[in-house]
Formats: sequence, C-alpha cells, structure tokens
Amino acid sequence: MTPARTERKKTGCPYFSRIGVIVAFFFLGLGLLTFRLVYLQLFITQNLSKIAVRQHQKTIVIQGERGRILDRNGRILAANLEVPSLYAVPPMIKTPGSVAEELSLIVNEPRPLILEKLKGDKSFVWIKRKITPEVSTAIENLGVEGVGMMMGPERFYPKKHLMGHILGFVGSENQGLEGIEKQYDGVLQGKKASVTLERDARGEDIFPKDLNYHFPKKGEDLYVTIDEVIQYISEKELDAMMKESGAESGAVIVIEPGTGDILAWVVRPDFNPNSISAYSPSDWRNRGITDVYEPGSTFKIVTAAAALEEKTVFPSDVIYCENGSFAIDGKTIHDHTREGMLTFSQVIQKSSNIGTAKVALRLGEDKLRHYIQAFGFGSKTGIDLNGEMSGIVNASRHLPKRTLASISIGQGIAVTPLQMAAAFSVIANGGVFVKPRVVRGVLDEKGGVSRGESEKPRRVISERTAREVTRILQTVVHPGGTGEKAALSGYIVAGKTGTAQTVDSETHTYSADQYIGSFGGFVPADDPRLVILVVINHPKGVSWGGSVAAPVFRNIAGQTLNYLGIPPFDTKRMLVVQREP
Amino acid sequence: MFDRRLITKFDWKFLLIIFSILLISTLSLYSVSVHKGQVKGIFYIKQIYWIVIALTVFFAAMVIDYHTIARYAYLIYGVVVFLLILVMLIGKSGLGAQRWLSIGFISFQPSEFSKLGILLVLARYFSENARGDGFRMSQLIFPLILLGIPFLLVLKQPDLGTGLSITFVFIAMLFLVGFHSRSLIFVGLISLLLAPFAWSFFWHHLKPYQRERLMTFIHPTSDPSGTGYHIIQSKIAIGSGGVLGKGLMGGTQSQLKFLPEGHTDFIFSVFAEEWGFIGIFVLLVLFGLLLLWGVDVAFKAKDSLGTFLAAGIVGMIGFNVIVNISMTLGMVPVVGVPLPLMSYGGTAMVTTMAALGLLMNVKIRRFMLFY
Repeated sequence: MTPARTERKKTGCPYFSRIGVIVAFFFLGLGLLTFRLVYLQLFITQNLSKIAVRQHQKTIVIQGERGRILDRNGRILAANLEVPSLYAVPPMIKTPGSVAEELSLIVNEPRPLILEKLKGDKSFVWIKRKITPEVSTAIENLGVEGVGMMMGPERFYPKKHLMGHILGFVGSENQGLEGIEKQYDGVLQGKKASVTLERDARGEDIFPKDLNYHFPKKGEDLYVTIDEVIQYISEKELDAMMKESGAESGAVIVIEPGTGDILAWVVRPDFNPNSISAYSPSDWRNRGITDVYEPGSTFKIVTAAAALEEKTVFPSDVIYCENGSFAIDGKTIHDHTREGMLTFSQVIQKSSNIGTAKVALRLGEDKLRHYIQAFGFGSKTGIDLNGEMSGIVNASRHLPKRTLASISIGQGIAVTPLQMAAAFSVIANGGVFVKPRVVRGVLDEKGGVSRGESEKPRRVISERTAREVTRILQTVVHPGGTGEKAALSGYIVAGKTGTAQTVDSETHTYSADQYIGSFGGFVPADDPRLVILVVINHPKGVSWGGSVAAPVFRNIAGQTLNYLGIPPFDTKRMLVVQREP
Repeated sequence: MFDRRLITKFDWKFLLIIFSILLISTLSLYSVSVHKGQVKGIFYIKQIYWIVIALTVFFAAMVIDYHTIARYAYLIYGVVVFLLILVMLIGKSGLGAQRWLSIGFISFQPSEFSKLGILLVLARYFSENARGDGFRMSQLIFPLILLGIPFLLVLKQPDLGTGLSITFVFIAMLFLVGFHSRSLIFVGLISLLLAPFAWSFFWHHLKPYQRERLMTFIHPTSDPSGTGYHIIQSKIAIGSGGVLGKGLMGGTQSQLKFLPEGHTDFIFSVFAEEWGFIGIFVLLVLFGLLLLWGVDVAFKAKDSLGTFLAAGIVGMIGFNVIVNISMTLGMVPVVGVPLPLMSYGGTAMVTTMAALGLLMNVKIRRFMLFY
C-alpha cells in the first residue's frame, strides 16, 4: 500500500488513485449485477416465467351438467339431482370398528365392507353414494368425526324400473356404463370447461384470471323414441302374463313401422337403475339384443316371404302335409296337429312344419340363405345400443336337407328378439328393412328435436310379396289359426306364433319341457302402426306361443291403439253389430 | 447563518437524480400496497411522509457547515451508542430482532443512525491523523474501538446488514487514508491465524435464522419453503419480468405476495418484475450517476475531512446498493441490507438523505475558504 499524503495540494486530490480503485470496485460490482440480470431476465426468463405461472395460476376443470333423457313426448326419464353422498376420512376416525358398526346399521351395508374402507390407507373414501334424506338425517344425528356428506349431481331415474335396460345407468363419476347412457355418453356428458384462477401465496383463490369465465356447457338433452305410456302398457302386460304363466324371463319390443322407432322395449328380469348394486349384473343385460333364442315358427315368415317372392309357391298352392310326420334324410319332422292337404296359406296359418319344410326344400338353400340374410339375420341390426349380438346362422355351404328344413321352421338358427321384431317390420313396411333406433335426437336451440341421420331403407322383398305375406298372417289370428288369441276386435291383426324348444344347457339336447313361446305381428294390418314382438321364456304349463304370447300381443296392441287414438277398422259396422244382439 | 451561495452552488441535477429514485420507490411501494384496486397496505403513504421528513433532514445536513457538524462528531457518536444500548434494554422486537425504539408514536432504528455516527467520527479521526506513510497498528486501535462498539451492539440485535455496512465504511476510509505496509502484513498474518477461531466464534454466535440464511444461500433449493424461499421467489420475480417487465401493478409474484418482504429488502425484485430489464437499466444508471457524482465531490472536496466524508458516504451507499441487489439476485446471502432510497423504512430514508445532504454540503463548500 502506498503512503498517503496528509497535505492537501491545490492541484488535485491526494486520494485520487485510491478513490479510483473504490470506484472501479463499484463498477465491477454493478457490471456483475448486470451480467446476472441479463442471465435472469433475458436468458432464463422463460423458465422463470413458467415457474411464476405455475405458482400463481391454478386451472380447474368443471364438468357441465349431464343432459337429461326424455321420452318421445318429452317426459323425463333421466335427470340430475343434487343429492348428498356419504364419505369418510379414515385418518380422522379413531374407532373404525364402532363407526363401521353404526354406519352399517344406518346405510344398510355389510359392516366388514365399511370397515375395510375405514381401515384402508386412503385419506378419502365414499361410504355410500346417493343417500336418502332419512339416512342423511341419521348420519347428522350420529355426529361422528371424520364422516360427512357432500352434495353432488347424481343421476336420477324418476320412473325407476321403467325401461331400465334402455336407459342403462352411470358410474360414480356420472359416466355412462350401460344402455343409452353409455351409447350416447358423448352427447349427454356436459362439456368440460376449465377456469384459470389466480391465487396468492396463501393459496387463496382470488378470481378467474381474465374474467372471461364461461360456465361449462350442459350436456345435450336426449329424446328417445320410446313412448313412456306404451312402455308402461307393455311392461304391465308382460308382467301379468309372466306371473300367470310362471315364466322365467321375457321380452317385448314395440316398433313403429316405417321409421324403425322403438316405442317400447321390455326385458324381464329387470332392474332399477337408481340402485344397480342391488341387482345381479345378469339382470342388467339387455336381453333384447344380447341374448339369442331359436325363433321357432315365427321364423316361417321369412321362408314364406322368400318362397312367395321367388314364386316357388303361391298362397293357393296345395301342399300335402303327410299327416303330421315326415322324414327327411332320416330325420322326422312332426306337426303339432295332423294335417293332410293344405294350401300354402293354411300351412302358415296352422303353422305346419312339414308344409313349410317342403316349400323350403323346393326353394333351395341358396335362395333361402339369401332371404335370411336380407331380413337381417346373422348380422347386427345396427340399433343405437351397445352390446348387440349378430345371432347365429349356419354359414356352411351345401347343408343337408334336414338342416335346411330345420332352419326354414326356425330351428338350428339363433336370433335376437330385436332381429325377429325387425323381420316382422319388413313385412309391415311393405318389404323394406328400416334400421331400428331408440334415440330420436337432441333438443336443438329452437326447441325442436334435431333428427339424427337415418339410413336409406333397404328393400328385402317386393311390396306385392309383403302384401301377400300380410294376408296370410291375417289368417293366423282367424278362427282355426294358431294365433287366435291375438285377434283384436275392430282391428285387423297380422302375426305369427312361435313355439321353440330350448337347448338344455346341461345335456345340450332339446329340453322336453322348456319352451319359448312367442308371437310377432303388426296392427292394423292394412296400415301398420305397431309391430309387436312378445317372447316368453320357459312358461310353466301351457307353453304355446299362441297361448302365452298372443294374449300379451292383443292386450298391448289394444291399449296402445286406443292410446294413440287410432280408430277401429269399421266403426259403423261395429255399432251395427252391437245393436243386433 | 444562511449563505446565498447555498443556492447558487446548489446542484439541482443531483437532486433530480435523488427524486427520480424516490419516485421509482414510491411507485413500487404503491404497487405492492394496492392489489386489484384494493389498498392492502399504506406503505407508500407512510413512505411519502418519511420522504418529506428526510428532505428536511437533507437540507439541514446541507446548510450547517460540515466542519461544524464534524466538531460534534463524538457527541453524535455518543448519542448513537447510547441509543443502541437503549435498544438492547428497552427496544421493540420485530421479525426475530430487537431493533426498534419507540418515542411516542414514532418507532425508529438507531442502528441506521449508527452509520452516520461512524461516518462522522471516522472521517474526523482519519482526517486529523492522516500521515504520509499510512496508519500503523497502534494508531488503528482507537478507530477500531470506535467501530467495534456500535458493531457489536448492532450485531447483538441482530442486524448483520448494518454491521457489515459500517465495517465497509471503515475499510473504505482506511483504504483511502493508507495503511502502513508492514502493519498490513502483520495484521494479515494474525488474521489468517485467527480466522478459523474467529469463524467458529462468529458461526456459533449467529442466530439460527442467520445460519440458515447462509446455508440456504449455498443451497437455495434445499429448503424451498423455508429460508431459501426468499431467494427463489426473488429470482422468479426478477427473471419473469423479462426485458420489458409486467407493467406497473402487473407483477404477479409481488402482487400475490409470493415474494416476501416486497416493500423492504426485496423492493428491487418488485421493481424488476414490473419494469423489466429496461427499468432496471434506468435505475442502475441513476444509482451510478449518484455514486459518480459523490466520487466527484470526494475528488474536489476542499479538505481531507470533506474527502473522507464524501468517500465514506459513497462507500456506504454503494455498498448497500450492490449488496442489496446481489442479495435479490441470489448472488450473496440474504443479510438484511436495504436498498438506499428505495426500501420502505423511515430511519433508513432519513439516514440516507442526511448522508446525501452531507455530500451536498461538502460539494457546495468546496470553494468557500473559511468557516
């Protein structure tokens, strides 16, 4: 260090160089600061900005309310309710054993199940979703620490069991799991909206950042094709017959011809979508599309339509029915009543297996197969419901004659109830296949229902043939026909009975006492408004389709036509008949 | 006795620089105080009051001849030491330190005044005893005692920042006055030998929070929610400001209170976030001009007392500016040094303005022959 001067010179400051050093140090310091600032503010500013945004912005996703499901006339079938759900915070519960005991009594769930949840290592568990007000009050009175209730939108089906299979149900996060809820989940689901909240260091949400907060869009309201009233009539009538006949299961499908709209869809056993856990998953199954059965004689409409279309036979052609027993390739076919000479029309009316088989053999394998496929068997109808089966149609070529004969009378072929109903619709539609559907569309801005795109109907048989088959099917319900009990005064009914043996699941042979009785048809025959298929599985005692299914058809048809305001065939004559005792 | 030359020689440019920095400070404090149209603090209003008081002190410090003031240096020093002892005895605590004295409704920090006291006594002592070949060890004992008393008292509070500030004033003046080379070597060797002991003594006498600060300076991310939080948040605030900044009251980190102590030690981070690199550049230029102006005063001072006073003031303010900004940039540990003219705090504002008034005092009187 150099010595400093004590005496002040007039020429300058004696500490000039040393002050200079200090100044140099300062500017070195400022220079370093500038470098650091350039680094922070110019080079890594983007990273730091991201960190800043992460710190003070929080984006939360809000799910819009789920759309409602309405019947074709706007009656609510599925809606949302703000309902309390019961939750627990296990770490806060000191005595899980006794709490589980008390909760199990209130919510009516097994104690071990609740205890398992309370003892788990999760910090939040749902004890029971969608609890009733009574349960809610009971929980409040209990006042246990660590147990609480949270309000949330829960799916609610006000009509309970009614058409549960069509509506389906949703999961705990309101996601569609079955039925329309699943098939149309994307439409029903509310749109998600994200809101960016600004928060301060204490984590308090201040306010949406840009004030351009939009409420999440509500899901679309969906109109189904089903009419609640027709559905109710159908359920009531099927239930009554099932009770009377002691049947195990059953199905009714009502279709509006021309549009393919499903008007009613009943499947038994049923379930209440409000409390699905109380039912076995097999009850959730929509047997109208997921299960197949041997259609039996109802299938003869396909054989008849094919033979008439191909002019293999005319309605008045006489066929010898072999007095009820006829062997083909060593296999004997029986009729339920011994018949001799019958016109083809009578063959169908009396449901002669022998007569039908003979015509089928004359028609030939290729042509029959063509019409089976044309009527939609062996492939999905394409209805807007999930889980549809294609059914089973023997695909191998050059079938033995006896197999062909079996198929022509509805044996050795498996179809879904919907496929069979659709086949009857083809006749009712004048020969065209219309894809069935359960959803009409969504509610649009104008308050109308925007219709989904519909497929072009596919011609299966000529209109003339359809008319001929219809005429034959009308005779089925006449005295002497198998479907007498389907006759409805004032309306012309066309239909066909069916009685099929079921394959025993243990022996893999036809069961001797388990039958499926069915009746398919449409009304009024000259201007069809309803196509109805009734299938009843394993009725006890009388099991003919004509005895168990035909009355159900008649009852549903009668009440529905009345409900729809479709006037009887000839009111005047009816009145005259009534006046003349 | 009022001298007309006080007006004719008055340097208005200097005052303009000071006012510019004060304006920036007030704007930043306003921004910290107000959020989304709601006033959540009244720092900026209080700061304006203090600025008014400080301006009065500034002119007082300017009007009274610095030689007259230096004559009372030891008295002022004595009063400061007395106040520091008083703080120790009856002071108010805040933020883990006992720093405040209350008189009526006014609270102040005597440790800030200790800067002025040290400045005056050292300038007087060194100017009176300056010699050609520098100071010897024996001559340093007295100034070391002068430094040591307030140093230990403020360290006890604890106020490491002020302790370091006055030490720097001492070192700057000593450097200026010169130091005997053999003594320097001797002191150097002794210090080297004593350093480990001194360090362990120093370390053990640090408060836990001071130790934490030092540790977190070395590893700021080791405890991001604790003491490293200051440094991390400050860097995020400054860095996210970018070149142009987020605009007045647009600083998210400071507005939403992620940045702690935004009105005091970290006011620079608030300003940097809102005004960006451009704003900082202007601020640094202002501080640079202020310091250069002070250096010019030191060069051209009439006598060595003026030179020492000016150099000490420039050293003190320069040290605080650089250490404070380095602190906010995470370059040095958080030691609690306020940014002169910027940070909220009445005593610091008064002290700084008094020092600047003295600087102006020295400048104005450079052509006056007698006093």
